[in-house]
Amino acid sequence: MDQLFDLALFNSALRILTPILLAALGGALCARVGLFNVGLEGLMLIGAFTSIVGNHYFQNTFLAILFAIVCVCAFSLLFAFLSIHLQANVIVVGIAMNFLALGLTTFSLRTIFDVKGAYYDKEMVGLPKWNIPLIKDIPVVGDIFSGHSPLVYLSIVLAGLMWYYFYRTVNGFRFLAAGSNPLAARTIGIHVRRYQYGAMIACGVLCALAGAQLSLGQVTMFTEGMTSGRGFIALVATMLGQSGPLGVLGASALFGFMDAFSIRLQGVSWPSHFTQMVPYVVTIVAMFFFRDKGFIKDAQNAGSSSR
Amino acid sequence: MNKIGAWLLSLRGPLIAIVIGLLAGSIAIVVAGGSIAETYTEMWKGAFGSFYFFTSTLSRATPLILVAMGAAVAFRSGFFNLGAEGQMAFGGLSAALIGLHVPGPGWFVCIVAMLGGIVAGGLWSAMAGYFDVRFRVNLLITTMLLNYIASLFAGYLVTYPFKDKTGAGAMAQTQMLEHAVWLPKLFKGMTVHAGFIIAIAAVVILYIYLAKSVKGYEARMLGGNPLFAVYGGVRRTSLMLTTMFASGGLAGLAGAAEVLGSQYRYIDGSFASADYAWTGIMAALLANGNPIGSAVGAFFLAALQTGGMGVELNTDVPLEIGSVIQAVLILFITVKFSWRFMRRKKGAVVDGSAV
Repeated sequence: MDQLFDLALFNSALRILTPILLAALGGALCARVGLFNVGLEGLMLIGAFTSIVGNHYFQNTFLAILFAIVCVCAFSLLFAFLSIHLQANVIVVGIAMNFLALGLTTFSLRTIFDVKGAYYDKEMVGLPKWNIPLIKDIPVVGDIFSGHSPLVYLSIVLAGLMWYYFYRTVNGFRFLAAGSNPLAARTIGIHVRRYQYGAMIACGVLCALAGAQLSLGQVTMFTEGMTSGRGFIALVATMLGQSGPLGVLGASALFGFMDAFSIRLQGVSWPSHFTQMVPYVVTIVAMFFFRDKGFIKDAQNAGSSSR
Repeated sequence: MNKIGAWLLSLRGPLIAIVIGLLAGSIAIVVAGGSIAETYTEMWKGAFGSFYFFTSTLSRATPLILVAMGAAVAFRSGFFNLGAEGQMAFGGLSAALIGLHVPGPGWFVCIVAMLGGIVAGGLWSAMAGYFDVRFRVNLLITTMLLNYIASLFAGYLVTYPFKDKTGAGAMAQTQMLEHAVWLPKLFKGMTVHAGFIIAIAAVVILYIYLAKSVKGYEARMLGGNPLFAVYGGVRRTSLMLTTMFASGGLAGLAGAAEVLGSQYRYIDGSFASADYAWTGIMAALLANGNPIGSAVGAFFLAALQTGGMGVELNTDVPLEIGSVIQAVLILFITVKFSWRFMRRKKGAVVDGSAV
């Protein structure tokens, strides 16, 4: 079993969990205000593509991520407008958003870069790899937590910040109230829609970061549909974590670890078809333990049933 | 008079969505550096320009219509079955394997292969339905995730145990079916095959089922207002399982018809790359699950795609222009949902009920 489990496995698990965690935190924000966001996958894909576009034009990863955030927020605002203002069915809008993201990124890939399938340019610089001074010298912890992109650390910090916001600030309480009982929240003067828009925009930022980690983090390239279901896994992580930041962190860690493990299984001559299945199978198995409670209520609060 | 007015009103939403879709397409064409008029002309020619192009649009519409019917029957009952891709893969693969290994006269094997496709797709989909009713595992997510598992498993089967070892290529695919097993072509030299007739039959049957039968009424009631339906004595569990079986079965039939009628073998990833499943689901969403509307939608989307190929051949605009128009269309179709929803909400306030 030595070649299956070692510190490098945890190291890569941490890298893989980052996009899932970022998107799942965005999903948790939306779920908490009664918007079941099925469009995470699409928003993430737009994030991944626009950060490559930004990188191509600005030659600077920071500006690239900023560009991605602006673009994804535009789409999440469109999502918010359709589902909050026009009261369209959130799930249908989410599915449509995924279609739009896939079509638009493929089309733009052809028009902007004139390539099909994937875009790769070795001139492009990806996200830097950070070694945090003190931590890197601690034996085991240092091996796991070193040499990651800044977004990896940021994602964990954000999970903590969101926990603080939800449970330790007045504004966070209002945010939760707006979601758990919109009518009551409205009677004490909370602008529920304002919180919903806020959640959607924050979700856009988080999905942009998730996409940036995908396309600029490990390898600097974009391939069509490169999110390949991660948005949906993030959605499951949101549900498993009961939309609480720490629960979401735990669920994402589980999926990150299973994904890293499945790559490792390829080394011991399992057919790659089965190793690639592992994260999806684990996700479904994990859902058996969750038992679908919160989101039906959330969906009803949003004024539409999911089924 | 009132009826015609209501019918015209129901067309307003789709028409607005089509106009917005074509406008967004125009913007995309300009960005890609093409001429709007020329591109749309090429698109029209590519889809309907000649009898050959028209029949290839029909042939492309065949799996889309079947998948759309599958999505529509689930959608109408209030379930989101997003698993058409996996169900189609299993349906196609089962049809190919039955076609290769079951002895007997050609027409018999062909029918058994199609039934096999229906059962394979249906069981795979009913499994997700069972998880939902028994374990309360969210249907939307399971059907979605089962896609990946089904496609990978089918990929494994044609890469190792059932791989075609006779050909020189290293393609992951089954052997070619015998000529006798093929679904016949409708016109000599054209691509459209008997699967199209089956698809149209499915539309008619589904329309009669939903509009005229008791079960169909129960299904629509469950989709429209689940609480009321259960209160009125609809058995949700059995209805959900049968609906999901029918839904997946239709997707499986789409895969089987595609294998028996046009590819004559199961090729790994060929359904996914043609995006049959998702386009079919889009067609069902476009028409809010109405069978005839979904079939028209499927035909329209097929025309956009074959038209897109014409655009790719004759202009500098990439063929993905079709998918941009599709996606914008579906996004704005949802606004139609919202109008209906707001009207219902106003009604609820008058009644004084809180739901």
